[in-house]
Amino acid sequence: MLYHLTGIRQRFNDRTVLLIDHLEIEAGRIHALLGPNGAGKTTLLRLLAFLDAPTDGLLQFSGRDVGYSRAELLHLRRQVVLVDQHPIMFTTTVAGNVEFGLKVRNIPKPARRRAIDEALETVGLFRYKQAPAKELSGGETQRLALARALALKPAVLLCDEPTASVDIENQAIIAALLQQINTDHGTTILFTTHDRVQAASLAQRTLILENGRPVPTSHENRYTCTLVTDTNGTIHYNLHGRVSLSVYADTTIHPATTTGQVYIDPEKITLSRHEVQQASGSQVIGTIVLIMAESGKIRIVVHVGVVMVVLMDRTAYERQRPAVGETVALHFTANAITLLEQNDQRP
Amino acid sequence: MSFFVDSFTSAFRLIWTLDPELLTIVRVSLSVSCTATVCAALVGVPTGFIVAYGRLPGKRAIITLLNTLLALPTVVIGLLVYTFISRRGIFGHLDLLYTQKAMIIGQFILIVPLIAALTVAAVSRVDERYRNTAKTLGANAWQTALVVLREGRFGIAAAVISAFGRVISEIGIAMMLGGNIKGFTRTMTTAMALEYDKGAFTLAVALGMVLMVLSLGMNIVFNLIQGKALR
Repeated sequence: MLYHLTGIRQRFNDRTVLLIDHLEIEAGRIHALLGPNGAGKTTLLRLLAFLDAPTDGLLQFSGRDVGYSRAELLHLRRQVVLVDQHPIMFTTTVAGNVEFGLKVRNIPKPARRRAIDEALETVGLFRYKQAPAKELSGGETQRLALARALALKPAVLLCDEPTASVDIENQAIIAALLQQINTDHGTTILFTTHDRVQAASLAQRTLILENGRPVPTSHENRYTCTLVTDTNGTIHYNLHGRVSLSVYADTTIHPATTTGQVYIDPEKITLSRHEVQQASGSQVIGTIVLIMAESGKIRIVVHVGVVMVVLMDRTAYERQRPAVGETVALHFTANAITLLEQNDQRP
Repeated sequence: MSFFVDSFTSAFRLIWTLDPELLTIVRVSLSVSCTATVCAALVGVPTGFIVAYGRLPGKRAIITLLNTLLALPTVVIGLLVYTFISRRGIFGHLDLLYTQKAMIIGQFILIVPLIAALTVAAVSRVDERYRNTAKTLGANAWQTALVVLREGRFGIAAAVISAFGRVISEIGIAMMLGGNIKGFTRTMTTAMALEYDKGAFTLAVALGMVLMVLSLGMNIVFNLIQGKALR
């Protein structure tokens, strides 16, 4: 294992922003770090880049405990490069930016020149070599930041939202570059993203963070709801005013509760192509908008008025073979829906 | 009107003919102010940089003190230095009073806080990401500090230029510590004050014009630096 994190806690101003009991990151692979804003992704990257020390816990790199003395930090940082979400360029040329990391490592000038040319060729910015770096576009800046890292041939490349603020064309270029860097140099890559599709297509492993904690799956089926009582006295969850679901009898609801948040477990939703009838309290009708493979499961995104994710195992998927654009029915088992307390973050 | 035109014509003639007295005064002014600015920059820039970049206890108090010192009147500095270097002062034996060295000391004290405070502002404005980027690209502590210094260089240069503008045009310190001795400590501003007292405006106007040209030159340099910083 390249990184081994045990009991890691990071606190800022008495607020715990990261709490990881145990996490391992394998060498030579591409890892995606998925999670919403404020989940602790950047905090984790900064720990892995040795830019910050954790408040508590043990971080091991290449089998050795990380010490935070100046000399050791310098040695470790020279093996890992973090590419920021909004990388900042030094006020010099494109080549000057790539040269920086080589210069501080005292690499001789001819070798520096070769490394600069090679890195700029790889990211397709060679023609801008002598241009002021600050005149590049957002996508080109991101690519230059990758070239700046690539020239150093790091063991680990950490990228914070590498495609979040670039256009579609540059997103594809950057994704291909990350793949190429991993294949050509065996560089371990860990990138953060909000995009499940990108995570699934690029990474060999996806880690999910929520509220600073690693979770097995993202609680994405989380909706704000209003509790509505119909003429028969039955209580329903009204999701964003668009979807109505029955409240099961065993759900305890405080009499004063009128609004809340519900979480629907994506693994407890049953999808059916053949029993599509009228929507009822325990069934909703929708259209499939996305199907993708993810960690041995099949992720199906269905638009039912709100976007709802269903996780199917492969056998069930093979049996039914639902297709994108198809109308399907989603059935909810009694324990699929959890009413969350207001302000409660976990189901 | 003819008095005004005559004064300007005569002043132009003095400049055009490179009048020796005028040149001596300009030379003394430039020599004293440049030396004071270089010395103050050597102290003020590192001080400002350390205050802005380092994690010092009482950082805010230091910045407040520097900003307060900006408002120190030149005559107060003149008086303060005078008490130290006059015959009865603790450095009286060094015979510094009414010398260019005394003026340099006074001007140095005047602009060190200015350079330091403007350097603090320039370095504080440098994006935090430069420091992180330098670190993650493998820079050690010194190399990281140099990156921040380099990125703040235009603001720091502007601070030094402003300080030079402050000392070349000040009169209190030059008068109190230099004594306005002809050919030795007479600067542009003290000479102008003297000529005004005498009612002889030609040299005063000529010196005024030189001062304005110098000020214009400094502003051009300042704008060039700022323009480069924005690019």
